Amino acid sequence: MSAHDDMLDDVAVYALGTLPEAEATRVRAHIETCAECRSEYDMLAPAALAVAHGAPDAEPSELLRARIMHEVRAEAAKPAGVRRPLVWPAYLVAAACFAIAVISSIVNLSLMEQLKSVQTLSAQNAHAASGLAQNLANEKTMVADLLDENAQRYAVRDGQVVRVGDRLYITLHDLTPPPRGKVYQAWTLPKGSKVMAPSVTFVPNVHGVAVIALEVNAAATAAVAVSVEPEGGSKAPTSQPLLVQALN
Amino acid sequence: MEKDAGLLMARVRARDADAFEELYDAYHRLVYRVALRMLGDAHAAEDVTQSVFMKVWSAPELFRGGNLGAWIVRITRNRTLDALRSRNAHPESELPATLVETEAIEDVAFARLDADRVRAALSNLPPEQRDAIELGFFGGITHEEIAKRSGTPLGTIKTRIRMGLRKLRAALDGAVTV
Repeated sequence: MSAHDDMLDDVAVYALGTLPEAEATRVRAHIETCAECRSEYDMLAPAALAVAHGAPDAEPSELLRARIMHEVRAEAAKPAGVRRPLVWPAYLVAAACFAIAVISSIVNLSLMEQLKSVQTLSAQNAHAASGLAQNLANEKTMVADLLDENAQRYAVRDGQVVRVGDRLYITLHDLTPPPRGKVYQAWTLPKGSKVMAPSVTFVPNVHGVAVIALEVNAAATAAVAVSVEPEGGSKAPTSQPLLVQALN
Repeated sequence: MEKDAGLLMARVRARDADAFEELYDAYHRLVYRVALRMLGDAHAAEDVTQSVFMKVWSAPELFRGGNLGAWIVRITRNRTLDALRSRNAHPESELPATLVETEAIEDVAFARLDADRVRAALSNLPPEQRDAIELGFFGGITHEEIAKRSGTPLGTIKTRIRMGLRKLRAALDGAVTV
């Protein structure tokens, strides 16, 4: 077998996509200068790609189509200038980071997995599916709020308190996991009260990010706080808060 | 699907969601089947499928003409290799993407290529050629790894792949417009 026959073998392996990158670079450069090898590649590449059709029959879920087309149609509906802004203010960049964390860690994974699971349940679980759909709608509202350029933003250490209308959020980053047996807990101070009211407990995700929607009327809230509490939460703070932010 | 892939992709570039849906209808099964065959996990295969189509939607300008189906299969395989890499499988090779796309199999024919006919053509290959091709394409490993796993000389593996692809091409010539 001649050296060039060896190269023709390499061209076949390259067409199949099984050459290591370094060798692929060498073969690619040769194909571009050798008519015989180019001809061999042109003949074999379609056959290599046709192997894809040899995969067993299978069909993705309709939910996948809905998910993709929902995203595509939503973006297609946006004006071009809105779709791809050239420069974002710093606060929007920060908010977008949180939004991405929300979309990727909550919507795409957790919620979609839950929705997929629910889809397979019988009709008796339709109520649960409805609840998850509501959760999805809530998550979308939260993402929109966090990106809202008219939101009131209060800078706190490693994060923000964000108010949009009567909705209130705390977004934190670089948050270390709480000690074993502990969680973070949010607190709200109703206007006219001197007693903090307990709110949700939470832990940051693997990236140290936490985005919390507080279930209070922002207009009736004078301040928010976060402290470390035992799992399950507390009725009153048991540790010094790591953040306290008054709202005006 | 619109017969002219160039026109279809021009509509996608113009943010035409209906055009994108035509494209999805034409290729989503193929994309999902390849990802599922390579990953063996339905959930991961759907993630790759979503990733592939969002790539097509977000960067349609990367399609520079030629065979749309071939381009999508390349994206699919390479995205799936990324998923395999994240499992620490360390596949090293990707389908070549820098050459001009081959025109040898016409677009619509590729999209409608009869899966049964491809499977039949594959099954008619000598087992050692079929194994080398399928392991290379779906297994995401290099020919060197194939040789090591099968205890076969490297040169023999390369020749098996070439001979197998030649026979496959000959068997499929009657099925597609060339």
